[in-house]
Formats: sequence, C-alpha cells, structure tokens
Amino acid sequence: MSSFVVEMKGINKNFGEVCAVKNGHIQVEKGEIHALIGENGAGKSTMMKLLYGLYPHDAGDIWVSGKQIKNMTPKRAIDLGIGMVHQEFMLVNELTVLENILLGFEPKKGLTVDFATGRAQVQQFIDQYGLDIQMDKRIHQISVGEAQRVEIIKILSRGAEIIILDEPTAVLTPQEADGLFEILKKLKADGKSVIFISHKLDEVMKISDRISVMRQGAYIGTVQKSETNPAQLAQMMIGREVFLNIKKSEVNSGAKVLDVQDLWTSGEKEISKIRGISFEVHEGEILGIAGIDGNGQSELIEAITGLRKVEKGKVILAGEVITNLSVGNIRAKGMTHIPEDRNKRGLNRALTIWENIIATHIGDPAFSKNKVLSLPHSIAYANELAEQFDIRPRDVSMPTQSLSGGNAQKVVVAREVAMNGKLLVASQPTRGVDIGAIESIRSILEKVKEQGTGVLLVSADLEEILSLSDRIIVMYEGKISGTLTASEATDTKLGYLMMGGKAEEVAHA
Amino acid sequence: MRDFGKSLIRFALIIALSLAIGAIFIMMIGENPISAYGALVKGAFVGKLNLGKTLANFTPLMLTALAFAIGAKGGAFNVGVEGEVFLGGIAAAYIGIHWGFLPMPIHLLACFLGAMIVAAMWAFIPGALKAYYGVNEVCSTILLNYVAFYITSYLVSGPMSAGVANAQSDPVADQVKLYQFMKPSSANVGMFIAIIVGIIAIWILNKTTFGYKIRTVGLNASHAEYVGINPKHTFIKTMIFSGVLGGIAGCIEILGVHGYFLNNFAANIGFNGMLAALVVKNNLILTPFMAFFLGALKSGALGLQQATSVPKSIVDTITAVFIIIATMDLLFQFKKKKQVQQSDEPLKPEASQEKEA
Repeated sequence: MSSFVVEMKGINKNFGEVCAVKNGHIQVEKGEIHALIGENGAGKSTMMKLLYGLYPHDAGDIWVSGKQIKNMTPKRAIDLGIGMVHQEFMLVNELTVLENILLGFEPKKGLTVDFATGRAQVQQFIDQYGLDIQMDKRIHQISVGEAQRVEIIKILSRGAEIIILDEPTAVLTPQEADGLFEILKKLKADGKSVIFISHKLDEVMKISDRISVMRQGAYIGTVQKSETNPAQLAQMMIGREVFLNIKKSEVNSGAKVLDVQDLWTSGEKEISKIRGISFEVHEGEILGIAGIDGNGQSELIEAITGLRKVEKGKVILAGEVITNLSVGNIRAKGMTHIPEDRNKRGLNRALTIWENIIATHIGDPAFSKNKVLSLPHSIAYANELAEQFDIRPRDVSMPTQSLSGGNAQKVVVAREVAMNGKLLVASQPTRGVDIGAIESIRSILEKVKEQGTGVLLVSADLEEILSLSDRIIVMYEGKISGTLTASEATDTKLGYLMMGGKAEEVAHA
Repeated sequence: MRDFGKSLIRFALIIALSLAIGAIFIMMIGENPISAYGALVKGAFVGKLNLGKTLANFTPLMLTALAFAIGAKGGAFNVGVEGEVFLGGIAAAYIGIHWGFLPMPIHLLACFLGAMIVAAMWAFIPGALKAYYGVNEVCSTILLNYVAFYITSYLVSGPMSAGVANAQSDPVADQVKLYQFMKPSSANVGMFIAIIVGIIAIWILNKTTFGYKIRTVGLNASHAEYVGINPKHTFIKTMIFSGVLGGIAGCIEILGVHGYFLNNFAANIGFNGMLAALVVKNNLILTPFMAFFLGALKSGALGLQQATSVPKSIVDTITAVFIIIATMDLLFQFKKKKQVQQSDEPLKPEASQEKEA
C-alpha cells in the first residue's frame, strides 16, 4: 500500500536492445507539483508514457491512489484520473476549440451533440483556473500557448486529478511560460497533482515542490525544492559539473560576409511568408535570430542557403550575389549549413557516418578520382573528424540512424564546420541533443567565430541565443520585429519582441 | 554481412514453405510431390538442353531485375523496363540487319550502343515527366510499355517485316549473332555479357560518385538537395541507367536467342525481372540469384509437365505462392515484429518499408 497518488517502483523498460528505463522510481504526493528532470533520453517521457499506459512496462509496480495497477492502458489511466499533455498536441486542426475538447466525450441530446451544456462545462474550467481560450476558433487559428491550454482543459474535463505535462514550456515564450505556471499553481491549490517534465532548471526551481532526477534511464534521487539549487540539480542530471554559458570572446568583426537585402520568399502554404527582410552578418560575429518557431525562420534560412526560391530581393555572400543559385553552387562559394532538421535534411540516416561526412565532398579531387570514390581517403577523413569532434562510437562504418541524437548532430556539425566556409548557418544546432553535446556544439560555434567565420544562428532556445550571439534580431510573422546588441538583450525584451512587440496586451498569456 | 546471411536464411525458408504449399496442390491432383519435384529439378538442371534453357531464361531476367533494383535504389519505381527491352531489341535488330557494312566487332558494338541509346531516350521520358511535372513514374512507365510494344509491333508487321506468316523482322547479320554454346538450347554468350554488365552496374552504384548520388537521392531526397546534389537530375539519370540495362537485355535476346526481332518477344521479361527484384527487396547481390531461381522454375516446369501428369501451371502457382510469401515481410521476422510493436514510434518501420518497396 502506498499513501502517494502515484507511485512507480523498480520500473524497467526496454525497446528492443535499448534500455530506456532501468529501475525507474517516482512518488508523487497529492496536491504537489512534482518535477521530473533529466537530459534528453534520460527516460523521463518514457516513465510517464508507462504511467499513462502508452506502452506496457517490462518490470516493476505502478500504484495509483493506493491501488496497484497491472496492464495499464490509456483508457484505464483516464478512468483513474490521469491526464497527459504530450509534447506534440493531440488536437484536430480543422475543428474548433470547443469541438476538440468535447470530442469523444460529447454530452448528448437525443442524437445530437449538446453543445450548450458542453460550452457551459468548458466555461466553468476557464473561469476556475484562468485558462484563457477562445472556444469558437479553430485550432490552426490559435497560438501554441493557447493550444496547450486547450489540452489542459481537455484532460480536466475528463476528470483528471493527476496531470502530466511533457516539456510544456519547450514551445512557449517566457511570458507564456509564466502564464502556464500561474495555471499550474491554481490547479495545485485545487488539490490536483501535477507531474512536470523538464530539463530547464530555472523553471523547475520556479514552479515545483519536489524534484526527481533521472539520468540514462535510471532514477538518481528526489529532492525538496527548498533544499536544493540549480548547480546541485545540474550535477545530478549530468553526473558532473557543466558550463553551458560559453564565455563570449571579444567581438572582432570584420568585413560583411552575408548581406541580405529586402528578401521575400514564400512559405509552404502562404505566398510571401518572408516579407522584406534585410540584415548583415560580419566576419567573426555570431548573429542570432530569435523568434517563436514558425515565424519564418525556417523559410528565411532555406532561401539564403538555396533550398527555397527567393521571390524578391538579394542574398550576397562575401561580395557575390547568390540569389537563387543551386545549392551546390552556393556551397562552392563558401556557404556551410547546419540544418534545423538533422533527420530530414542533415543526415542520410540509412548511410554510414563516413558516407554522411563526405556528402559535401564527393566532387573534390581528394575524395574521388575520375568519378570513383576514394574509399581509403574518405574513411581516413571521417575518422579524423570523428576524433576531432568526439563522435561516439568512433566506428565510422556505423549507420547514422544508430547514433544518439547528440552524436548524430555532431556528424552534421563536423561535416559543415570542417568545410571551413565563409559563413556558417546554424539552425537549431542543439535541438533534441543531450546536455554534453549542447556544451560541445556551443563551444564549437564560438571557435568557428573566433576563426573569423561569420555565423548566423537560429534558435528557439533563448538561453542559447543570449549566451552565443553578438547581435540579435527577432523575427515575428515573417518580419524583423527588433534588433538588439548582446549587451542590451534580456529574455524579457526578446520575449516581447517575439510576440510582435505587442507584448503588453498578451503578457498574461 | 550478418544481414546478408539473414536474408539468405529467409530466402531458404520461403522456398521451403512455398514448395510445401505446392506439394499440397500436387497431392490434390493425385501425384507424388517428391517425384514431381524431382522432375522439376531434372527439367531445370539435368542435361544440356535443360540447363541451357535455365541459363537462357536467367540472362534477360537478371538484367531486367537489376534494372528495376537500381531504379529503386534511386527512388524510381520503374515498371517500364519491359518497354525498354522491346525498344532496345528493335534498335539492335535494325542495326544488326542493316549495318552489315561495318566490320564485326564494331557492328556488334553498334548493336549494343544503339539498343542502349534508344532505351535511354525512352527511359528519359518518364524520368523527366516525374522530375519536372510530378507525373508518377509508375503510371507513365506502365502506359509507355504499351506504346513501346505497339511501336515495335508495327515496325515488324510493316516497315521491318520479313514478310513471313509471323510478325517478325529479317534475320540480323550472322556476324553479330551471339554464339549459342549449349545447343539445342538458346543459351548464348550474351549471358557472360550480362554478368559483366551486372557487375559493372553494381560497381557503379556502390563505388562511384554517380552511384553515391543515386543512393543518396533514393534514400533521402531532401538531404541530397541540402548537400548540393540535384535530386531531379539524379532521378532522370537513374531512370536512364535503369533503362540502359533493359536495352542491353533486349539486345542480347535479339542477337543471342532469336536472331531476328520476334513480335512480343519480351512479354513478361520486364515484369518478372521486377518481381525478382521486389522479392529480394532490391538487394543487388541477391537479385541475380533470384533471377536464376525464377529462370530455373520456368524451364523446370516444362520438364515437370513432360515427365508427370502435373500441368505446367502448377509451377506458376508455386511461383505465385513463393512471391506472395516472399513479400509478406513480417512472416519470418517474428522477433523484429515484436520490437516494432513496442518501439517508440510505431509508425516508423512501416514508413521505411514503404520506401524500400
């Protein structure tokens, strides 16, 4: 028997030969906000998915409200009052907010859905917890933060008493995150238990009562928030001390290496997603582009690197106009590019490490003679980079799909950085990689800059933008909403600009 | 290498299972399956004629199977190999008949080059349609097969007709006929040419920058584009590469087996080659073995019919069962299946299989 609302003991879970959770452990008290922290791949999400019954666990016991539960399924989890807000929202884009909330649990009036009753129920949650949503908007019309609140109401309306949030702040601006924390506090005051998955220490310190730490699938320990500090938590997470805030070197910027003039380009759906953007990157500086995902950063980068057609305007790389040239041509002129999606763009996952590393070299005389690839040279080169960039395992004949996120990303970083281009475009260079790799990739970017290369950094991670950039531009809806120097930028200022500069009106979000 | 061993075991299991199912049919006819299979093996391998037939069947199948598999490596589902065989064949026949003024080695070379060029141009059409207009190459190649067939059919019934009862062309010059080394079967030195061509094709795919581009585009076109490989150009070149192999198959059939262009000579050669490639999931090394196996079944079927009362169609049934089983991906992968179900992203393995297909 246990007095906790949730207790998981000795949980093991393997995916094939990969051990995701090993002796996992968590105890959640009623009415607390319990943070579950760890690096990417530490097993946090897996633990919670086991609790929610998305996968069966291999060993261990799960207790919910004092009852031992075997063969958990999502349906049972919902019946037991467990609700989960996933990293990717489970919402139907074309339906309205109200329809999404009622979906599957519609109040009926004869054969039809009783929207009036449903609306009243939803309104009750909105009032009670300050969950500000517009019920008649369609999902694709609302912001990510609002969609998250819709998810929360959805699980509350199914009677959730235990609420699991999987990295809820990853997609939010700092202001939106603060709004979410207010909601969580109200839920807690109302006696609900919240499990909050995160790897951001500052927000964990801000919101949680107790904190459980996982590392490499194993349970490390649980601490009271009041008795710990970020440094101790980081050490528990990594197993050693880390320094994420790279010491920035003096700006020693030289000539213009990238000059973007009044650039217009289209998006997947809309014409002219990017409307008239101009900026410059100089040798030896890192220009950071901040903004919430989906405000045109991806399109901008694709247009600069030749992957997307430029409608209007000019892109000039080291004095040469490269607008609408082929990617191969642009690369030959000194463009290097760490793409935002390493699985789709950056890597050919089925091919080996060495084949991925030589991808941009196959035309070089050193790598191919008379169109025949030089195997010894290619492998030697790949080995050299694997050593230099610490790609693990060191076996370059491994297919890249078997690498961890961090090492896969290092393959991309190694290939691009070793090209010694004039400009390095780094788009979300540390997304989805572990803290060790984040640390090393950030210091590599810093080194690239010190060597005099211009770096254009796009990141949704404000901390990354702030710790690396010499200058920062903020994008909002396809335009630049502001430019700041490193010394004047703070996350509050950036946050306001990320909301289009009209932050005052939506600050409570 | 471990994967290669695995696929070999899988291959053996599939053969065993389909033979077992075939045995049930044979017993239903009232024959002894063991003696029937004995006759099948004898019909395929024992005696000069039988073995020769198997080799003659194997030669074009290997090339068309490789043609399909190489297309698939580059992301092209080229159903049009058959059309390329027809047009390669007609080009070889035309040059073989009319360019007798050339000395022998050059004349032979001209036949092959002509077949390759015509087939390449034919394969360029669906390649370019897909690359620049998004026309699905499966549709366009299926339709172009008909066009290719009717072009050759028209030519040998009209302008190139030999004027005999059958729709066929005049015989090609004797100097370009490929030596048949296992008479009375039609096995000919074209087989060795085919094997050499096959080895070169596999080498190109695995060792050259062109092959690297094909594989990169086939596996991940977005990645190819990002590293500076033009996926559209590469797709067209892949189709041409695939088509050229089909053209060579047509040339060998005309110069080696028939000696003239026989209307509809390539019926099902392209199609069976595609099946052979699909069964082994476009594994280039296994593809020739599969082609050999299908070729042996085909000639063994005749022996079976002659020696027993089992009709030849039972072999087609076994072949069909074999192909169905072979394409049932998960049958001999129980362990893998379990992992798939529990994996983090249940949809991914399916998606990757789709890509391979």
